[in-house]
Parts: sequence; structure tokens; C-alpha cells
Amino acid sequence: MRTIGLIGILTLVAASAAHSQGRPTLAFRGDAGFVWVRNDTTAAGAAGPVRLRGPMFGCEGRVVFNGFSLGVGLSSGTLQTADQAVKRDLIEGRLVVAARPVPWLEMSVGPFVRAYVTDTVTERWVFWQARARVEAPIVTASLTSYVELWRALSSDVNLVAGAGRVQGGEAGVVYRPPQRPFWLRLSYRLDDAAVRARGSETLEAISLAIMVGGS
Amino acid sequence: MVPTSLFLALSLLLCGARLVRAQSASDLLGQGVRRYQALEYDAAAALLERSLARDSAAALPDSLRAKALTYLAATELFRSQRDSAMGAFRQLVLLNPRYRPDELIFPPQVTNLFQEVRRATRAIAVAVPPVTELRARSDSLPARVLASSLADVVVTLAHEDGTPLRELYRGPVADSLLVKWDGLTAGGTPADDGRYILQVTPRIPTADGPRARQVVLDVKKVMPDTLAWPPEPTFLPERTSTGPAFRSLAAGLLAGAAAVVLPSIVAPGKDASGARFAVGATVGVAGFVGFFARKPRVLEANARANASQRDAWKKKLDAVRTENAARLRTTRLVVRAGPETIADRGSP
Repeated sequence: MRTIGLIGILTLVAASAAHSQGRPTLAFRGDAGFVWVRNDTTAAGAAGPVRLRGPMFGCEGRVVFNGFSLGVGLSSGTLQTADQAVKRDLIEGRLVVAARPVPWLEMSVGPFVRAYVTDTVTERWVFWQARARVEAPIVTASLTSYVELWRALSSDVNLVAGAGRVQGGEAGVVYRPPQRPFWLRLSYRLDDAAVRARGSETLEAISLAIMVGGS
Repeated sequence: MVPTSLFLALSLLLCGARLVRAQSASDLLGQGVRRYQALEYDAAAALLERSLARDSAAALPDSLRAKALTYLAATELFRSQRDSAMGAFRQLVLLNPRYRPDELIFPPQVTNLFQEVRRATRAIAVAVPPVTELRARSDSLPARVLASSLADVVVTLAHEDGTPLRELYRGPVADSLLVKWDGLTAGGTPADDGRYILQVTPRIPTADGPRARQVVLDVKKVMPDTLAWPPEPTFLPERTSTGPAFRSLAAGLLAGAAAVVLPSIVAPGKDASGARFAVGATVGVAGFVGFFARKPRVLEANARANASQRDAWKKKLDAVRTENAARLRTTRLVVRAGPETIADRGSP
């Protein structure tokens, strides 16, 4: 209920900002990547950490207006162990409201949902992220590097042990070909979600994305 | 109100009194001349002596004083007071060595006595215009040196404290001589502001020789207006700065390093894949690409534009320099001459 209320407020704020600043623009991103997950929680098993990996694909849409953006993203992939004995689907969903107080800094906040789905059980993480992203131009307007760090303001997991500290980061480079409508992005992401009892789930991803529109 | 009126009345009274006294001297001269023409020599002598006896405030100007002395000398001669007549003529010669009694007015015995006295009285004088404005080097201050008889003189210019400035002339003067000063010091530079003394002295001073004469010159230098230097134009940068290149390199290397160390920051103690190295290296290479893409280079168009602008500015600078030099060469001096006085002995 609290989540829905917050989303409603943020949407209203974003809508009013969009109205006051002029016409919003749309941006879309499609990405493909490879994911590594290392799970050493008690729930994973006593035999040691479970290591899964596999490709992942995603997309995100954003409404961008002067200084603000509102985005929704979804990613999905199938992960399995090296010997293919364990197999899980990974699904991530995200809603984000972002603001740029200065051109090189983007602050964002929003709910994030991650689910590991097997035939019998679904492990679902829900957390509210606060993110800070710093961008630095390498070649003005065409090549930009960025570093982004985030931390969960609140987190929840349907494991018995309960969620602990959840945080992550991302670094990469964005290339905007001159006089082309699309951008390319190469990034490395690492999220670490601890459970209260012991252990954590660490997710690493390398992805290549193509983006269209936006600013 | 009352004190103001009183002050005004007193001022007017004083001015009026001075006017009356000044007028009286010339009136006395006029009356003396009329008595002389009426052959009333005793009355004429008394009136003329009274006209000459006025103090400096009401004294006759030099031209009228010369006239009074001439009539007085003639009167005394006709009163058979030859010594007094010679004394008056001697004063006349000392007053103005070039003065000559009008031969149409005075009979030969008067003019002959004057010539006799003039030959016996050795006097020199110097006459300078009251105000002279001159351009140093090109114009000059005229100073006329007068002598009652042939005299060997030195004309010098000195500072007020006696320090010599320049010698303008050394040699004989038969009757009169025009000496010119071009406004320069002995070093060839225009004289500074200050008081100077133009002095005419006999080369060999003797007891019965002419006495040195001097005029105080008040010199003021009027500097010409010079043109202001043309402002230096704002030049365009001729090379790109090194800053952007290093910022690009830093942006790439730092983001690349961040990708590499991200597991240590976010999930310390956990194994991480080698994927971060691939991304880190790519971002780092992008930084190098940015560095080389933005490394300093010559901006040819700006350099050409600057060269043209610099040439035009230098031409303006040279023109102003030439014009200012020409203006400075024409420094004007305003010279105000004081009255001619007898120089003290020992003065320069």
C-alpha cells in the first residue's frame, strides 16, 4: 500500500514537472548480456555456493523531460549451473524516477523486484533503491563514462531468513555515434543482496545495450 | 549689512585714492611740460621733479618717466644747472640706453648734452616680452640686449638659485643685439618648470662700467596631449588546451578502475568474474581514445585571424608611437618675464 502511494506521488510530481517544463520525450533501451549469480545463503544448500550463469535480455522505457525522467524496465534470462544440474529463470522489474540536478549527476529512486523462478518455488526480492549516477564525458557528447552506485532503502525477500543489506553498482561507457538516433552502452553491474542469517546472493552482469531517443 | 556697506565704501575710497595719486603723477608731468613750453623753467622743474618723486605704486611708467627726465634735463639746462641736467640725462640713459630725445622738440644744445652724457655713461639693459609662448627647438624667446655705448657682455641663463643653465651670448654689443633662447637646456632638453634668471653682465666688470641687468623668467612647460595606446585586441586561442585531453583520460581511467574495483566495494570478499576486466579495459581504452582525440593542436584559422589582428594592432601602435614622439618634440613653454632689475653683485 505504501509502495503504491509513493509511486502515485512520484508520478504526480513527474507529471507536473513535465507539464511545467514542456514537451517530454521518450527513450527506449534494449540490452543483451550475460549474468553470473553466486548464492551462498543457507537456503541454497550446505554443499557450498551455487554458481549460476546464463544470458539475459531486457528493455526499458523512459519518459524524459527537462531534468526529470520516469522509467520502467524489465529483464529476463535463464541461468543454470555449469553442469546444467540446476536451472532457474531470472526476472527483474524496475520502476524509476530520476532527476538531474546538474548535467553530470543523476539521482534516482524506485522499487526493484528480482525473482529466481524454479518449477517448484519462486525466490522474490523486493527493494527500494536510491541510486546516484555520475557521468563524465570522454569525448564531448559522443563518448561518456559513468559510474553508478545504489543502496536499498528497504528490502524484503520471501526467504525465511529475511533480507539484509542490499547494494550494488555499475560502471560503463556510452557511445553516441554522431548524427545517429541511437546510443550504445557497455556496462558491468554487480549487486549484492545479503540475508539476515548468513550469506548473500551476488549477481554480476555484463551487458551491451542499444538506446534510442531521450537526451 | 552695515559692515558690508562700510567695507565696500572703504575699498572704493582706497582705490579712488590710488587712482588720484597715479593720475597726479601724469598730471604733474603734463603741467611741467606746459610750464617748460611757456618758458617758466623754475615752475617746470619743480613740477617735473614732483612727478618723478612718486613712490613705486604711483610712479610713472618707464616711457613717461623717460619723457619727464628729458624735459627735466632740458629745463635744468635752460636754468643754467648743467650738472643737474647731466644728472637727469644720466638717469635717462640708465633707464633706457636706447632712448633718444626728439630732435624736433628739443634744441641742439639739449640733444648734444644728451649725446655727451650718453657717451660718458656706460649702461646696458635687456628687454624681454612680458609673455612668450614658444615650442621648444623650433621657436625662441627674443631678448634684446641694449647698450648705451659699445660694451662687451655675456648673456646667461641660470636657475633661480644661481646654477648656470646656458650661456646664450658672449661678445660685443654696439647698440642693440637680439639674443634668442630656444627653450632648451645645455643638455638639449626642454627646460623644466621653474624660475630662471636671464642676466646680461659686462665681460670685464669695472667700477665705472655698466651694471649687470637681469630679468626673472617664469617658465611653465605645457605638455602636449598624447594619444592613448590602442588597447590590445582579444586574441583567439591558437592551440586547444591540454585540460580536455587529460579530463577525457581521467574520465576513462577512473570509470574503468571503478568497474574493476566494484566487487571490492559492493561485495567485499566475494569472488567476481573476469567480466569486469573486459569492461574496465574497454572504458580505459575509451579514455585513451578521448585523450588522443582531444590532445592539444594548433587552431590554424585562429592563428591566421590572430596574425592579421596582431599586425593591424602593431601598425596602430607604431602610428601612435610616432605621433606621440612628434607631439612630445613640440613641447610648448610659456615664459613670463618679470621687470628688468639691476643684478646684485656676485649673482650669476
